[in-house]
Amino acid sequence: MTLADSIRTIRWMIRDTLRQSLSTKLFWVTLTVTAVCTLFCASVRVHGDRPMVRTEYEVPAVLPKTEAERIGLEKAKNDGVQVISGEMTVGFGAVSVPVGHSREDSVKFLHVWLAGGLGDTLGVLLALLWTAGFLPTFLEPQSATVLLAKPASLWAILFGKYAGVVGFVGLNAILFVAATWTALGLATGVWTTAYWLAAPLLVVNFGIFYAVSTFLAVATRSTTSAAFGTLLFWMFCWAINYTHHRLVMNPVEGMTPIASYLLEVGYWTFPKPLDLSGIFFDAMKADGFGTKVGEFQALQAAGKFSPEGAVASSIGFGAVVLALAAYEFEMTDY
Amino acid sequence: MAADFVHVGKTYRNGLFARSGVTAVRDVTLTVPAGSVFGLLGPNRAGKTTLVKLLLSLSRPTAGSVARLGEPASTRRTLGRVGYMHENHAFPRYLSASEVLHFYGGLSGVSGEELPGRVDKLLERVGLADRSREPISRFSKGMVQRLGLAQALINEPDLLILDEPTEGLDLSGRQLLRDVVREWQAAKRTVLLVSHVLTEVEELCDELAVLVSGNVVYRGTVKELTRDSSGVRRPLESALRGLYANEVAA
Repeated sequence: MTLADSIRTIRWMIRDTLRQSLSTKLFWVTLTVTAVCTLFCASVRVHGDRPMVRTEYEVPAVLPKTEAERIGLEKAKNDGVQVISGEMTVGFGAVSVPVGHSREDSVKFLHVWLAGGLGDTLGVLLALLWTAGFLPTFLEPQSATVLLAKPASLWAILFGKYAGVVGFVGLNAILFVAATWTALGLATGVWTTAYWLAAPLLVVNFGIFYAVSTFLAVATRSTTSAAFGTLLFWMFCWAINYTHHRLVMNPVEGMTPIASYLLEVGYWTFPKPLDLSGIFFDAMKADGFGTKVGEFQALQAAGKFSPEGAVASSIGFGAVVLALAAYEFEMTDY
Repeated sequence: MAADFVHVGKTYRNGLFARSGVTAVRDVTLTVPAGSVFGLLGPNRAGKTTLVKLLLSLSRPTAGSVARLGEPASTRRTLGRVGYMHENHAFPRYLSASEVLHFYGGLSGVSGEELPGRVDKLLERVGLADRSREPISRFSKGMVQRLGLAQALINEPDLLILDEPTEGLDLSGRQLLRDVVREWQAAKRTVLLVSHVLTEVEELCDELAVLVSGNVVYRGTVKELTRDSSGVRRPLESALRGLYANEVAA
């Protein structure tokens, strides 16, 4: 098979997988979630303060309106303290929340929560669960035999299917981000772009763990094994990631060099969901809107964390597992 | 030759650490000549479908070698000259008949320029032209079988493999299948027909092989098989029954 043949196969498989996903209930579920979140964003209003002018050397003195009233508005003004008097409402004015910072920060707070839900743990785990059935269904002997008897490389068929599912998740993520970002922007007049990082983060994070799901699907042809095996593996990776950071920052007395070495090997071998979350948190500049896991923060502060290494080794693991899945696919009898 | 099996054996491994196994094909040496309609007969679990899967590279032999259209079966390129139809097609239910043929045609290597013309022609041929845009989830089993036949013909194969093709087909569907086989025969292309329907085999096949318990117990023409030792013609069914009984007794 030439490279052109393989590319043609991948293209056909991606197209077929997208068709498959659009015809399932899953597409409508994700579309509904997007629609509900978009409606929520469209219902947000922020009244009051404009974004504050900040300079590098100035630490602005600000107080929320309630706090300033307690001290005395006049006194605060004379002391040069900026009083935040805004208000955010959601549900088209049904619920009112006092704005503790500028209007821009209020919108950013929503961005962080929406992006965290989408691109971080919840979004990845839900996407893994929802898409776990795609490959086992495709690999059922009755539907696979005719397809596998075509003159196409088996690795290209599998990779096309994998890319199709990742593409489907990516499309949904882009749709979600675009719709909610536009709705929030139109409703509040705030158009910060960091929110868009949620879509690529979800795709990378999902793509790494979907490679494991693909391997399990090829090896077992069972949706249950693919779904729950991948979730268990995600938890295992999170535990390795967390334990590594904890023991690096707070070494336990009596820990043998072999145990430390094995932990280090485990950390660098497996994907790092905790690190990916932390990197995303930093990219969103989400300080003040949530907290990172303490051990991660400590490692970062100590200068012992390599974001490039964490991302590259996680993607590398996904690529190796995908290659193993392709090998298993070639070796399996249908 | 269209297909060549040399001392082929196939054991499916199963159980924990693949410690146990089921032998589907024992030691088969068989050649399917190019340009013939070749029948493969045998009782259930004789190993017929396993031989077909080995020929299509859906499985690997545990012993011996398999060649397809003059090249080792591991060379997937020759699959572009093979059409395959089996009894229980499960096409993607979200596609229409036309989309199914475009999909499988595309994967078979049919060019984008040729594909739409071939799809229309084949849908017309199998009687699905007026239902071409409907999702196949609405199709009856017979209609899916017709679509399966069209799919097998989309690349105009040199070797057409039909595994129990008449399963679920009505009378006109069976006639359509016979016409296709005869057309392939006339064009000196090869058809490998795996079937339980003896009249079909008798009517269409130039040669046949009978498989019992993973071994070839007969290879020759239908005419030779249906003549007993005294030269009297007997029904194919009774000839086969004799072969099956001998093998089981052995």
